[in-house]
Amino acid sequence: MSDIQQTVYVVEDDEAVRDSLELLLKSDNKAVATFENATAFLKAYSEEMAGCIVLDIRMPGMDGLELQKKLNERHSILPIIFVTGHGDVPMAVDAMKEGAVDFIQKPYREEALLEKIEVALAEDREQRKSLGEQQEILKRIKTLTPRESEIMERMIAGQANKVIAIELEISQRTVEIHRSRVMHKMGTHSLAHLVRMVLSVKDRIDAS
Amino acid sequence: MSEQVCASADATVLLVDDNPQNLKVLYETLKDKGYRLLIANDGNKALTLARRDRPEVILLDIMMPELDGYQVCQQLKADPVTADSAVVFLSALDDVEAKVRGFNLGGADYISKPFQAEEVIARVRTHASVIRLERQLQQRNRQLESDQSRILNAISEGIYGLDASGTIIFVNPAAEAIVRSPANQLIGSNFFDTHCRECGHQPDAELDLPVQATCRLGKPEFRRGVVMMRPDGTEFAAEYRSSPKLEGDTLMGAVVVFRDITDELARESELEAARELVEKQREQLAHASRLSTVGEMAAGFAHEVNQPLTAITNYSRVAMRLIDCDELNLSLLRETLEKTEAQSHRASEVIRRIRQFVKKPVTGKEVVSVAALLEETRQFAEVDVRQNGGEVMVSVADGVERVLVDPVQVQQVALNLIRNALEATRSGESSAPVEVTASLCGADFVRVEVTDRGTGLPEGAEEKLFLPFYTTKPEGMGIGLPMCQSLIKSQGGEIGFERPEQGGARFYFTLPVASAADALAGPSVVIQ
Repeated sequence: MSDIQQTVYVVEDDEAVRDSLELLLKSDNKAVATFENATAFLKAYSEEMAGCIVLDIRMPGMDGLELQKKLNERHSILPIIFVTGHGDVPMAVDAMKEGAVDFIQKPYREEALLEKIEVALAEDREQRKSLGEQQEILKRIKTLTPRESEIMERMIAGQANKVIAIELEISQRTVEIHRSRVMHKMGTHSLAHLVRMVLSVKDRIDAS
Repeated sequence: MSEQVCASADATVLLVDDNPQNLKVLYETLKDKGYRLLIANDGNKALTLARRDRPEVILLDIMMPELDGYQVCQQLKADPVTADSAVVFLSALDDVEAKVRGFNLGGADYISKPFQAEEVIARVRTHASVIRLERQLQQRNRQLESDQSRILNAISEGIYGLDASGTIIFVNPAAEAIVRSPANQLIGSNFFDTHCRECGHQPDAELDLPVQATCRLGKPEFRRGVVMMRPDGTEFAAEYRSSPKLEGDTLMGAVVVFRDITDELARESELEAARELVEKQREQLAHASRLSTVGEMAAGFAHEVNQPLTAITNYSRVAMRLIDCDELNLSLLRETLEKTEAQSHRASEVIRRIRQFVKKPVTGKEVVSVAALLEETRQFAEVDVRQNGGEVMVSVADGVERVLVDPVQVQQVALNLIRNALEATRSGESSAPVEVTASLCGADFVRVEVTDRGTGLPEGAEEKLFLPFYTTKPEGMGIGLPMCQSLIKSQGGEIGFERPEQGGARFYFTLPVASAADALAGPSVVIQ
């Protein structure tokens, strides 16, 4: 998988803070997009967005926490760094419970912020990568016939070819042919790898 | 006519003649005419009866043995008790000399013998009536005089009667007590010499002397706090009123009514001192209350300052990066530094606003623009707007310009009301903005209203709203509104509460419009 373009999304109501942060991040060679309130960001949001959000927790209208909830509802995986003021620690704790990666208190040191952004971007990359892999696994699973799926489940459960043949009332030879097709379609030679792949997407299969 | 009837009904007539026959005729003539008739047949008896009964009219025969009519008349007139009776001489002596003599001795009239009954009746009736009226008049005069002197004695103000040169010709007992000198020493002395010695009699200052304008020019005067000397050398602060005494167009002098106001002035200055103390305490309390407001808003202010500080930090770092670049982009660097500078002004503006708000009380009102004052307050309340997620809208009607107030105190009141409104809006989960309006209220006042659509106030809260320690808020102290009321009253305005039709609450206060004179006299506008 090739590297996708990551953008730092800045959601901040204060114009000067927004503008200075944009300049700062650009001078650090980051792609930046700014939004003056939560609603504007929500309107622009799409699943393709990659990178992280630097989100002011206290804003008129929809505040940072509400935006986080809305994004969670839409299964966003964009990591969020909350920017808090003095005395906003309880809010920051709530944000962390809802899955924010981090928070930083104003006024912050540039190094600290950039560091947190790097961490968030790495996490995003990681998530996106595994998400890509999972999608690939799911795609492969979808190419299996019902019989092949049935046999793969038994393989993962650790049943020997003989047991599978008896329980499904088919010949052991037939089991072997299905088994080699499953391994081929899933793109692996090792049973251990197959098990790991299927388990990594188990939640998603159960959900669908 | 009624007086005559009345007079004749009550009048006593004394008939004096040594001739019993004449007496009988007179008696017959006057009886049944409504008089009380007395009879004397010699001079001595006549005098005795006259003293005892004070007859209105005495018909007196001239030719009598022992005391003749002239002598009797002389003695009647010499005795104050009998002097006012009308003496009508009766005599056969019908010559001019006798009549003149009678009149010279005080006789009122003359009837020649032999007399006509009608003439006697008519003359007696006339004289009885005249004497009767005269006596009534005297009675009235005596009563008036005694009333007047009772009033003059009872009155607590000192009263002087002066002639045109300022000589004292009348003194009442209160005046004696005030100047600590008896009337007999005051009367005849000169008012100016006695009471204004220290002031001297410089010609140019003459009309400035108390009462001088009244005595010399006939102008009434009223002055307060004038220092007057006493004959014993002490002095006292006086208030006096002097009126000219005029007879026709001629200025006869002056009447001066005066009081010693030494104690009164002392009490007034005590009262003034107490008032100043209250005012000072009010200012200190207002100051303490502002400090506490700023304390409550501290987190918000920290945020307000942190925003520009954050931006400054970011811009500075950007500037450093630009300097470190191989190709120096001077215009971008300049732009970044300008932005940094603007943000530092923004931070210092927040701090200036706080300092202005919490500064020590400075007594004194200024001419300030209502629009500027409300805008400054709105910016100050920005902190709470952020905290409560609300909105404040300020609108100032045409014609509302400047007021004469202590700007910090008015701002304190407006801020307090706006903060309450924002809190009520949030509690009521309303999204309507807090409206702040200013409009003219008559020609002399500006009315400022702060209206919200929040929770409103409980029934009957109006009566208690401005009482200390009454509060509807769980964490409230009940200090805010009484403080506001006290501050608005000290501006000369009013504060109150209304329930708007659409719900929520409305507080209003009024401020006095600055006159053109205020605008010229006062220091220049502090808040632009």
